[in-house]
Amino acid sequence: MASTPQASQVLPSTTKPAELEYGGDEISALVLDPGTNTTRCGFAGEDTPKTCVPTYYGIIPDPETPKYFGSLKIGENAVNSVIDGMEIRNPMNEGIVENWEVTTDIWRHCIEYKLSSRVEEHPLLITEPIWNPLKNRERTTEVVFEDFGVPAYFLVKSAVCESFANSKPSSLVIDVGHAYTSVTPVVDGIPLRKGSERTPLAGQHLTTQLRHQFTEMGIRMTPWLMLKAKTTYTDLTNMPALRSRDYGFQPHASFIEYQQDRFIHEFKESLSETWPEPRTFPTDINNVGDNFRPFADKSYEFPDGYQRRFGIDRCLAPESLFNPSLSPKPFTGDTPKGIAEMIKDSVDHLDADIRANMLNNIVVVGATSLLYRFNERLSQELTTMFPGPRVKLQSSGQTPERKYSAWLGGSILASCGAFHQLWISKQEYDEIGANIIERRAK
Amino acid sequence: MPPFRDDHILLIAPGSTCTLAQLGLPESFTPPKVRIPSRMFPGVEEGQYLPNKIHEVKEGQELLLGNGEVMTAGPGGKPYKKRKVGEANSKPSTTAQTSTSSGAAKKPTGDAKPADAKGDTAMADAADEAETHDDDGDEEGNDDDEDQEMNGTKDKDEDGADGKIYYDDDFDEEGAIWCMEQGRIVNWECFFALLLHVHEQINPTFHTPILMISQPCWTCTDKERICQFIFEKIKAPGFCMMDAAAAISAAYGIPNSLIIDIGYEKTDITAIVEYDIQELGRTTIPVGGNSLNLHLQKLLPHLSEDEIEQLKHSNICEILPAGIPIPGEEDIERDALLLPPEISTVGMGGVLPPKAPEEEGNEEEEEGVTNIAAIVASGKTQEYLAKKEKEKADKKAGIAAGEKRLPNYKREKNTFSFVEKVQEQVLGEGKEDNPIDVHDGERMDVDSAPAPSGEPKSAVEAPTSSGADASTADPQSNPDAEKAKQGPSFMESMFSATKEDDDAKRAQDKALRREEKKRQEAAQSGEKRKEIEVGTERFKAAGGGILEAIADAAHRVVSSVDEISKRGDCWDNLIIAGNGCRLRGFKDALVNAITAKYQVSPSSSGMFTSEIPSNIPTPSGTGTNTPQPSAFSSQQPNALLLQAAANNAAAAAASSHHHSSSAHYPQTPSSLKVAKIPEYFPEWKDAGFEECVFLGAQLGAKIYFVADQGLNKGFVTRADYNSQGPQAIHNI
Repeated sequence: MASTPQASQVLPSTTKPAELEYGGDEISALVLDPGTNTTRCGFAGEDTPKTCVPTYYGIIPDPETPKYFGSLKIGENAVNSVIDGMEIRNPMNEGIVENWEVTTDIWRHCIEYKLSSRVEEHPLLITEPIWNPLKNRERTTEVVFEDFGVPAYFLVKSAVCESFANSKPSSLVIDVGHAYTSVTPVVDGIPLRKGSERTPLAGQHLTTQLRHQFTEMGIRMTPWLMLKAKTTYTDLTNMPALRSRDYGFQPHASFIEYQQDRFIHEFKESLSETWPEPRTFPTDINNVGDNFRPFADKSYEFPDGYQRRFGIDRCLAPESLFNPSLSPKPFTGDTPKGIAEMIKDSVDHLDADIRANMLNNIVVVGATSLLYRFNERLSQELTTMFPGPRVKLQSSGQTPERKYSAWLGGSILASCGAFHQLWISKQEYDEIGANIIERRAK
Repeated sequence: MPPFRDDHILLIAPGSTCTLAQLGLPESFTPPKVRIPSRMFPGVEEGQYLPNKIHEVKEGQELLLGNGEVMTAGPGGKPYKKRKVGEANSKPSTTAQTSTSSGAAKKPTGDAKPADAKGDTAMADAADEAETHDDDGDEEGNDDDEDQEMNGTKDKDEDGADGKIYYDDDFDEEGAIWCMEQGRIVNWECFFALLLHVHEQINPTFHTPILMISQPCWTCTDKERICQFIFEKIKAPGFCMMDAAAAISAAYGIPNSLIIDIGYEKTDITAIVEYDIQELGRTTIPVGGNSLNLHLQKLLPHLSEDEIEQLKHSNICEILPAGIPIPGEEDIERDALLLPPEISTVGMGGVLPPKAPEEEGNEEEEEGVTNIAAIVASGKTQEYLAKKEKEKADKKAGIAAGEKRLPNYKREKNTFSFVEKVQEQVLGEGKEDNPIDVHDGERMDVDSAPAPSGEPKSAVEAPTSSGADASTADPQSNPDAEKAKQGPSFMESMFSATKEDDDAKRAQDKALRREEKKRQEAAQSGEKRKEIEVGTERFKAAGGGILEAIADAAHRVVSSVDEISKRGDCWDNLIIAGNGCRLRGFKDALVNAITAKYQVSPSSSGMFTSEIPSNIPTPSGTGTNTPQPSAFSSQQPNALLLQAAANNAAAAAASSHHHSSSAHYPQTPSSLKVAKIPEYFPEWKDAGFEECVFLGAQLGAKIYFVADQGLNKGFVTRADYNSQGPQAIHNI
């Protein structure tokens, strides 16, 4: 080891090292991946984001306060603390930013507080969904240059990032996220607007369905923060007294709901299961046929201590992703198409010559795709739908790669040398204005 | 290159209050040898930071030093006079700086047992100190924190030309700049000055690599700056940073764990999976040892910050294990699983200002849980108190007689001795605030009832020092008179009881022994001590939602671990570290807090990992039948749930052909265990394992610098730095 070049340069212990100042200053880009549930942010070139902040924020409304009409609580700790009058809201709507004031603050929180990077020192790469309208893209550009003062910036479609993260320049990206499940064909790194579809059958939908299901069952969905301790019981008709935590005020309903999401999320992780075969799920789970395949029971304990065994009903909510008509909670408007049908629609829109290529390169990402047996089911559905060409699903086995694939792709893009010529610089923005984004990044 | 040697490795663990350091790795790893408060004082020149407070004294001016000496600058800038304040007839009128005790120790070290390290802190400077102080015994008896802080060379930087002298005052903390807050570095200049100071103190050879413990909240940019400083200013040949959580995990040597590191103003919660820090889920919550102080302060508004700090460190302040009632409080106030400090007044504090719940009073009663706050709010306080009084009256006689000799947890009140600085100016004020009429029995009862009225609690202040200074005797005459009324026997029995009590617990509690020793020391040195009596508030230090906040954050952290299968392992290896958890019973209380709320009972999760087929009765190997199919139509909970749990073994065998969901994992935590403290570090046993982060640092240094010698790029070498710059720190 003494012969390694580095080692030989180390001075003997008696000699004072020469004055050596490090001159160069490499600047790494930041990658920001705003989602409806969480906002991911980190340095380009790394394999996981450095920080993952809830996009949900708390607000204590106060019409007197300028700009936000209340005091904002941003960050995981803030959102999870019980504060009188705090409402939990989300600045995103339909997967795109709606409340720019708050979003700007959340982004700033991610970058300046969590990463403590001076935002004006780093180029910034932001991901956007394919349905992001021009107005929003221009607004992003303005925010980034005017509010943050970044030296350079670029907007990338998240589907492109996800495709790259799975090392495919061309693929059919199925992103099963929180607010939306989207399908986007990406050909040679370019997303095709034609053939891209989305449906709200995603994580949030599952949560809503499960909440409805639990309510129907008469379960007291008291979240952890509202409890002092739990009392184990199994009989819903004879519930023991709730040992609730008295804060001296009733937290806002949106806060309770947000806290409920925490255990519903746990339920999704540990109990929810996708029915593996298409079209064999019993239409009425309360009256299953005798020849029905036995399905294993699993038990879940709710925060207040209620234990319940869930049988086939734990498949119900995931089933509704594919078969929305079975949703425990009916849709208010039109019943959307199931995920598989939506993919079929998308493929049907594609030119015939790329269809086979797309079906052979299906990339499934997004945290909701981590549902147990989701991919199995999706694969079966697609194989049944497209009997001719070979359908091949690719999905990373690593949970972080699935969850943060859009960010990861952004990180890869921003760190690769050829990408540097794409950055939109401050100077260009000053010359042309917000519309530069439409010219430079379609 | 010559390999790095064990004894030439510098370890630095910066903390918000105290920076730990050590040169060299001893044969058997020891607790840190050097302990320096993480604060510097602005120097004479702008941008200059010095480890000690600098007083600028003009010729002829008198300077009151923090340790109660008065110094006058003589002609030519020579300090020519030193005398004790007590002897001085008049207080110096022209002091440029005031050194009141209230200004001092604003940020007491979060360390509960600083005296432990005292013996170790045998630094070269200690000798200096001994030389300069003729009254060394006096110094020694001072506040422990203060003791640690003196790396105390009493340099006299003389500047005869303009007749000014600069004098380092080791005891004055006023104007100190604390460079870190909640682990974050808030003042970089000061932080670097501190690093430099630490380095100078230890003064290692040039061939000494440095390992620094990094705080979880340090960002990449922070680390780069530190790396740059280490190489360019300190010129270390090698440098590496070890995350605090990683160090703790290394000290315990457990692959999967949940680390709760309770510091002064923050608690870091990190999940470790396969020795890998779960960067994304980790969180830092602004709750720590100081929250305990603040909460106690709220409960005992009449005590000063110093007093609170010492109360916390004293052996009477503890968190009672679940099931042991707080003396003087009724059992009905508590659920079986509930933590003692959760009751009433306490519950509402913390994050939120208490607000009267109008509608909840009735509900609460229906549920059979007595909620004091609700009772008070609903205006039934009087009735309730009357009821309590009656209950109390029966017991009272017994209590009054027996209480004095009971162990701490059975006594309604207990005393601790507060060590005062010799020269305490606020002493008088402190007392005037307190109504001293608390000795009558009626009042005691009211106090012990946890009424949120926040009345000042009883405080007996008994100067036990042999020679109370004449100057301070005046404000104390009042309490003395009060005491006289009570009769000396009361005080005496109180005091002797404390002593006996101490003796009884000596074996288990070393802190006590020290206390005893200090008491004697103080008696000899004529130092001021007073006994302060506190009521049951001393059991409620962790109220105000501190435990809950930590428990909830811990649950969030584990829930964010991506590998669901490892979550259970994390819960099973809970590591509670950091000096904030030194409070007696704190760890148990925290574990209880998590268990009570989050632990899933075994019948519901763990045992059902292997699935039980429910639709078809499967004959099992043992012949018992698994539960009959439950009709899905019935929305009734499955009555066989518990039975099924009992039959679980059989069911597991039967379900072997059903193991379809191998990727599915049960709810967590189904069990919760505190990780076992490794036993092969004898030196650490005495010091307590709270600072095991430093043990981890030693282990890490041994591996990175000695065993591995940089083969696996465990640290940044100078060559790496020269080629890559500060970013090199990220490549290791």
